[in-house]
Amino acid sequence: MSFADWLRADRLPHIWCSGCSNGTILNCTLAAVEAEGWDPDRTVFVSGIGCSSRAPGYISTDSLHTTHGRALAFATGVKLADPSLNVVVFTGDGDLAAIGGNHFIHACRRNIDLTVVCMNNLIYGMTGGQGSPTTPIGALSTTTPYGASEPAFDLVALAVAAGANHVARWTAYHVRELERAVQTGLETPGLSFIEVRAGCPTNYGRKNRLREVTDLAEYFRTKSMLKAKFDRLVAEGRPVPSDAIVVGEFVRRSNPAMGVVP
Amino acid sequence: MQGNTASAEGAIAAGCRFFGGYPITPSTEVAEAMARRMPKIGGVFVQMEDEIASIAAVIGASWTGKKAMTSTSGPGFSLMLENIGFALMTETPLVIVNVQRGGPSTGQPTMSAQGDMLQCRFGSHGDMAVIALAPDSVQEMYDLTVKAFNLAERFRCPAFLMADEIIGHMRERIELPDHVDVVDRRPLESGHLPYEAGEDGVPGFPVFGTGHRVHVTGLTHDERGYPVTTDPVLHEALVRRLVGKVENARREIADYRVTNPDAEVVFVCYGSPARAVQQVVADHPDLGLGILRLRLVWPFPEHALAEFPNARVFLVPEQNLGQVAREVERHVLVPVVSVPKLGGELHTPAELLRAIEEARSR
Amino acid sequence: MKLVIDENRCKGCNLCTLVCPYRIFRPGTRANRKGVLVPELDRPERCTNCRLQGLYGRTLCGVCQLTCPDQAIGWVRERPYEPAKIEVEY
Ligand SMILES: Cc1ncc(C[n+]2csc(CCOP(=O)(O)OP(=O)(O)O)c2C)c(N)n1
Ligand code: SF4
Ligand code: SF4
Repeated sequence: MSFADWLRADRLPHIWCSGCSNGTILNCTLAAVEAEGWDPDRTVFVSGIGCSSRAPGYISTDSLHTTHGRALAFATGVKLADPSLNVVVFTGDGDLAAIGGNHFIHACRRNIDLTVVCMNNLIYGMTGGQGSPTTPIGALSTTTPYGASEPAFDLVALAVAAGANHVARWTAYHVRELERAVQTGLETPGLSFIEVRAGCPTNYGRKNRLREVTDLAEYFRTKSMLKAKFDRLVAEGRPVPSDAIVVGEFVRRSNPAMGVVP
Repeated sequence: MQGNTASAEGAIAAGCRFFGGYPITPSTEVAEAMARRMPKIGGVFVQMEDEIASIAAVIGASWTGKKAMTSTSGPGFSLMLENIGFALMTETPLVIVNVQRGGPSTGQPTMSAQGDMLQCRFGSHGDMAVIALAPDSVQEMYDLTVKAFNLAERFRCPAFLMADEIIGHMRERIELPDHVDVVDRRPLESGHLPYEAGEDGVPGFPVFGTGHRVHVTGLTHDERGYPVTTDPVLHEALVRRLVGKVENARREIADYRVTNPDAEVVFVCYGSPARAVQQVVADHPDLGLGILRLRLVWPFPEHALAEFPNARVFLVPEQNLGQVAREVERHVLVPVVSVPKLGGELHTPAELLRAIEEARSR
Repeated sequence: MKLVIDENRCKGCNLCTLVCPYRIFRPGTRANRKGVLVPELDRPERCTNCRLQGLYGRTLCGVCQLTCPDQAIGWVRERPYEPAKIEVEY
């Protein structure tokens, strides 16, 4: 078996644009569940609404494509009602951090045994490129035509503070690292949150001088900084580029969790 | 026993093993009873972060095959509306107990009302048919909660117990039956597509984790469950089936009580106002009054109105400005008089007698 | 094993041209039936997985397949053993 066997081949090609990172992140997540040896008949994928949230529809398992922002609340019900099911959640930055922000912090607080993969493309993709709570200051979107002026959420810091047992950040460029991070998430009892910086060439790239898909990949490659290096620079009091994407594992702990098979 | 507690007990008797909720007056005692009882019977109680999450968790739990419920009141019910539509579209069985209080907005948290009757009927967006029951006693809080589960499971849809504060907080002796008839959801047979409906318009249920690998989406979907969002024919067929499976069973599932079918002046009532009506009718046998008491309000049993062939006028006392009166009006040729009562108290006998007087002099 | 791009799925994003350590993928030049410039393969027999998957019994490297957002890259088994084609280098 390979991760490709988890796909609903009869639904491909998918609806995502050419070069959209969502497809890559789907592959990496499926590679992780495959490596983990999970049974497709006992695995459920849950999502909200957005381009990213279409992912479960392409996976040949039980899946629940819910309402905007509410994936974690639905997943909480699934997992608590039947903890023997493996539950993975796909969500977008708008889905998770805007309309679903409250469910996000409470799912982390409950530390419920889910693996949450957030495809953070810094924008509302599905509705045509409006600003989201993670749109960086200065970035252009259809609702921030003069550059975003609101401070953005640091999703990783939020998940750590709210109590998730495992928190990591990678980009869609780091396919192997991402696969391993998801696998660690699957293995960690409690909530695992993996933020994946994703490219939306159609709605983010076009407006923000990352026109080519390969430009976005280059951007992720060059702007990423390993957490170890970031920590070292900070400890030494040396400057860190403001646009650095700090990647790596931020926390792994074994605080009491809910929804774990006794 | 208190009405709200009776509802919780009825749910348990019907097989409910998952409760997700958020505290709100005057329904909180349902959640509190579930918090005490669920862990003792191998069920799950979870207090969610809000009512949107509550119904979401209940829907998620229902897909694992558990019978699931939430309880709330007006403000929380308003928050649930989007996901009620999701449950309708995805054909997820669940029960919502709404112990109604005075609205709009925060209104009168501790006072009774029936102002959400049309909200439950039409509140979520899109066309829909719903099942709503209205208890008029503590016993019925129990019995109709059981019934709500049975209907939800049979038709694969949300069922509402539209109680009100008076019934929810009332204390009465009730009889807990040794045996209740329980309907369980029909599982999806292998070889069938997940949304391939039988003759009754209801597909078998593919419980998560049993190998059906079903995709559940609130998007318009085909029989495989796959999204198909731009095919007008498919969309219409789906919505008509969802509405039809409930509407076509209107006569069969109708549940009402008829008193004095020869009457010329007939009350149509449900929930706590029915108690005031019954009192007045019992106290004035000389007035020749009839009662149609609805235990099930939606789908509206219009044929029940024909049980009163001599009716010259229908009086509809409600704790709202005439939400069900409007529905009665659609189905009869004689006058229909709404007898609204806002503020949270029951209609007084004097108020009902005055309404009778005015109706007779028409 | 033989590396193949499923033309029905590929949307021509060219990410594969960026990630393959052997630079086997080259940006496509001719539009296919769907108007997509599907990348061309430059001596795909150099691919690690093509050469060694049979030996190790698992996917090796595979970074292009994992990266391809359109699930268009895969390997197919080549025709069975054909002794005439084998060149043994001593
Ligand atoms: C209650 C509700 N509000 C708004 C929408 C419209 N809507 C659909 S997708 C979306 C944004 C999705 O953005 P994100 O979660 O970042 O996902 P992406 O499409 O970028 O993957 C919005 C606002 C909706 N479907 N439901
Ligand atoms: S709009 Fe953006 S996020 Fe949505 S599919 Fe296209 S590239 Fe992906
Ligand atoms: S990465 Fe996939 S979709 Fe993109 S060009 Fe290569 S084969 Fe085509």
